[in-house]
Amino acid sequence: MNAAEKTMKRNNIIFNILSIIILAVMFFPLYWTFVTSLKYEQEIFRVPPTFFPSRINTASYLAQLKSGDFNMFRAFGNSAIISICSMLIAVLLSVPASYAIARFRFKGKKFCVLIFLITQMLPVSVLLTPMFIIFRNMSLLNSYFSPILADATIGIPFSVLILKDYFASVPKELDDASRIDGCNYFSSFLRVFTPIAFPGVIVCAVFSFLYAWGDLAYGMTFIQLQPMRPITAGIFNFMGQYGTKWSYLTAFAVVTIIPVTLIFIFMQKYIISGLTKGAVKG
Amino acid sequence: MNYIKKLLKNDNIGYVFVLPALIYMAVFVGYPILSNIVLSLQDVTVRTINSPAKPFIGLNNYVELFQDGVLRTSIVNTFTFTVLCIIFQFTIGFALALVFNNKFSFAKPVRGLIMMPWMIPITITALMYKFMFSSNVGIINFILKSLHIIQQPVDWLTQPGTAMAALIITNVWIGIPFNMILISTGLTTIPDDIYESASIDGANRIQKFFRITVPMLKSTIASVLILGFIYTFKVFDLVYVMTNGGPVNSTQTLSTYSYKMSFDLFKYSQGATIANILFVILFIVSLLYLKIFFAEEGTK
Repeated sequence: MNAAEKTMKRNNIIFNILSIIILAVMFFPLYWTFVTSLKYEQEIFRVPPTFFPSRINTASYLAQLKSGDFNMFRAFGNSAIISICSMLIAVLLSVPASYAIARFRFKGKKFCVLIFLITQMLPVSVLLTPMFIIFRNMSLLNSYFSPILADATIGIPFSVLILKDYFASVPKELDDASRIDGCNYFSSFLRVFTPIAFPGVIVCAVFSFLYAWGDLAYGMTFIQLQPMRPITAGIFNFMGQYGTKWSYLTAFAVVTIIPVTLIFIFMQKYIISGLTKGAVKG
Repeated sequence: MNYIKKLLKNDNIGYVFVLPALIYMAVFVGYPILSNIVLSLQDVTVRTINSPAKPFIGLNNYVELFQDGVLRTSIVNTFTFTVLCIIFQFTIGFALALVFNNKFSFAKPVRGLIMMPWMIPITITALMYKFMFSSNVGIINFILKSLHIIQQPVDWLTQPGTAMAALIITNVWIGIPFNMILISTGLTTIPDDIYESASIDGANRIQKFFRITVPMLKSTIASVLILGFIYTFKVFDLVYVMTNGGPVNSTQTLSTYSYKMSFDLFKYSQGATIANILFVILFIVSLLYLKIFFAEEGTK
């Protein structure tokens, strides 16, 4: 082994150790939340704290199955309904829109892009008060519709901006070929473009879902009825009432993170590409 | 029929595809923004919300709010929070991007895993950190005590200075992955041979960093900073869950103050006014970003 190879090997070990340390620091809050959710209440207050539960306590999870003070599983279902519906709206509207922006030259195209860019940067709190009054007048408060419709406004601009690059990368020849084969614009959009841009569609679906899943402001403002509230708003309520019942609170946190973790594990590739292409944070 | 066929044959068919999304955004974003402006010029509270005629009071809400100290405090707090968050998350994110830019076996998987904190709902992040910062059971006080940095447990979230510090630390944890991944992507666009020829010319690591890496990443750095500013400035969930603006408005930001006005005090017009101030500040910053965005689009 020569000197250069030796330094390379040494560097490899040093960087691997360094990266594990970084990872451990970044993941500590998640680990800490998880172990706390499995501890008994007395053990949480023990000094010095234990880094692994001495006795595993699953009561914090099980209590919620029997519809406790806050029915976590019901709230989980509410969140799922709201997130999936708002994801569907975002995908169904943004896929054709981005196809048009990438493929056709029409008047006002640049203006369209501008609108999506600006709306993408809008804070939720700017829209909250007027939306509340509008939904109130439409009698949509305390229904799933209000958060679904509001959450989709976050997903749509992001999705359009991401997808237009995917559609633009489809070679023009494919378009022409499909037209010669007798496809009109609609069938070539559905049969040729959408399948090729499919990874992009998944990125949009994932992000639209995550935006809605993580939303607190819309859910808690538009829905005042506890049994209909999404999980984030439910947890926030519970924190206000039982601020120090950490075994329950950490268990809620773990349950809320589960879908995020699953999406992360299976869709990591898409998420990172979406992030780097869209450069967007919700 | 012929007319429709002709219309659908040329590029105008693009409108058919783009209109549904545009109409949706006009109804659920455009209209609220306009009604927000109207709302801020009226006096709508819980008492007048149902009456058909809403009193028009011109710029009174703006004048009143600017005379009230809490708005000024909120503006200062929001800027302090944003600037400090960006300094830390950008520096740490940049450092991590440089680490993961080296070739080693764990580089890719670990860099991917670090993205995880960024995806967690902010309500949950706020809950986790509220637990870690709590004065009696918090792990942070325990660690600081074991290291003899503090003698007595600190009441992080109930004292003005430390509450802001706790919020910033939490937000930096969320922001690091975002900064890291964008800078990482930027780093991969710098060709290796530039570094090699610099080495031949005798440049050291620090010289290479400031003479090659930073100038080559100029547009990436600019967009990371501006986007970071926009996303940090509109912070809501984190503050709302961790401190709700307290103690005594020391962590009140524009978003939380607007929310408080509308939904705790039911002064909808005042809430809308604060939201408009937030909107104007962000809009100015967004224009900067748009300038960069379209400059990049043009070079493609």
